[in-house]
Amino acid sequence: MSQDPLHTKLCDQLGIDFPIVAFTHCKDVAVAVINSGGFAVLGEAMHTPDEIAADIKWIRDRIDGKPFGVDLVLPASAPPETTLEEIQSKIPQTHLDYKQSIMDKYDVPMPKQDVGLHQWGGLSLSHGRAQLEVLLEERVPVIASGLGSPAFLLDAAHERGCLVWGLVGRTRQAKRQLEAGVDAVIAQGFDAAGHTGDMGTLSIVAEVSAIAGDTPIIAAGGITTGRHLAAALCLGASGVWTGTLWLASRESDVDMIIKERLIESEAADTVYSDSVSGFTMRVLKCPWTDEWKKPEAPRPLASPYQMILSADYTQGANDARRPDLMYEASGQGVGFVTEMKPARQIVSDMVEEALTVFDDIVGLPD
Amino acid sequence: MKDLEIRSGFDPNLSGKRAECDGGGPVPGGRYAARQEFSGTLTGDYRDHGEPPWRWYLMKELTRKPGDYPHDAVWCESESLFLLDA
Repeated sequence: MSQDPLHTKLCDQLGIDFPIVAFTHCKDVAVAVINSGGFAVLGEAMHTPDEIAADIKWIRDRIDGKPFGVDLVLPASAPPETTLEEIQSKIPQTHLDYKQSIMDKYDVPMPKQDVGLHQWGGLSLSHGRAQLEVLLEERVPVIASGLGSPAFLLDAAHERGCLVWGLVGRTRQAKRQLEAGVDAVIAQGFDAAGHTGDMGTLSIVAEVSAIAGDTPIIAAGGITTGRHLAAALCLGASGVWTGTLWLASRESDVDMIIKERLIESEAADTVYSDSVSGFTMRVLKCPWTDEWKKPEAPRPLASPYQMILSADYTQGANDARRPDLMYEASGQGVGFVTEMKPARQIVSDMVEEALTVFDDIVGLPD
Repeated sequence: MKDLEIRSGFDPNLSGKRAECDGGGPVPGGRYAARQEFSGTLTGDYRDHGEPPWRWYLMKELTRKPGDYPHDAVWCESESLFLLDA
């Protein structure tokens, strides 16, 4: 072997030491990973434009000019407009009764305050565009779209010196985005937390890498160890996108109860379920997901109806901080999240393990 | 937050074309998002949101949609559409 296997074209694109991308909603995690030689993308989909601007400044003040990214969830489809009242009026009584039976069976407390859904009112296209304007104005080094295609903003971003990454769940989405000229594609497999496509990580990373040419591909879905990193690079990826890995880190602001659940969990403790939101997504199993899988359960409703149903359970569980009820999005790599380590150590452990793997297989350069 | 300028239009070349949409979006009320897949027929109607234009096409006569999806139409982001008819 003639060169450092961890020095990839993603490292060259970003000027980073290690091809490890942390996707996180926690600014402290992002800063720690960036200052450890990796890269971080801060998930800001839930935040207002003003909050995003403040978070960007906070990070910039702590990373000494190093690059960072911000992720928004651009929609790819949208139903005809409806009001919350219209939505609530269409939920069948059978589903309301089943929800109540779960609340009663597990003694789930009612939320202490209005659930976020009612306060927030959902994301609109206007909201998404306003968020994007902040990223462009602030010339965020990497703008990532966690779902829909970012092709429409490529010219505006490139004019400002911003790179644009798109996350895909299917090869044809990657092909479309590569043709449009994105700067990197995140190929996300079924092992991932939250929303995923139906292709496994092993398959989608190899397929997308095969058509990517010189564009870096970043592997996502179930990646939590140096062995995963080494495998992803062997598949043709130039880096890895990691989310679950950081949830239980020392710097993470995730509730300690959830951190403990993550540390105790294995891949089989996650479930790909549409019972939470009406969309399929991977989360830690909990009584809510278990009950909706039972034969006697009604079929979960489509979004946003199912989210209306689950909102009281979720908020009640979180308000009461009940470990037996709470859940979090989690990928199948969670089995390797076994202790609450500082982010810097997570980066160094991952790098060391990946190098050991390469050394065992082919030997490393002196 | 100012409202987006929305410009409506009609593309006769797409009217009546069957297509698939690799859709999805943010889940209201949380920080999650999710994918949704649709198949149907494009009406040719489109909307351009903002500048640079973010184009969305209207799909009806849905032959595939998520279970219990309550609508008979969906707006699809243009880069997430894949035509089945040439």
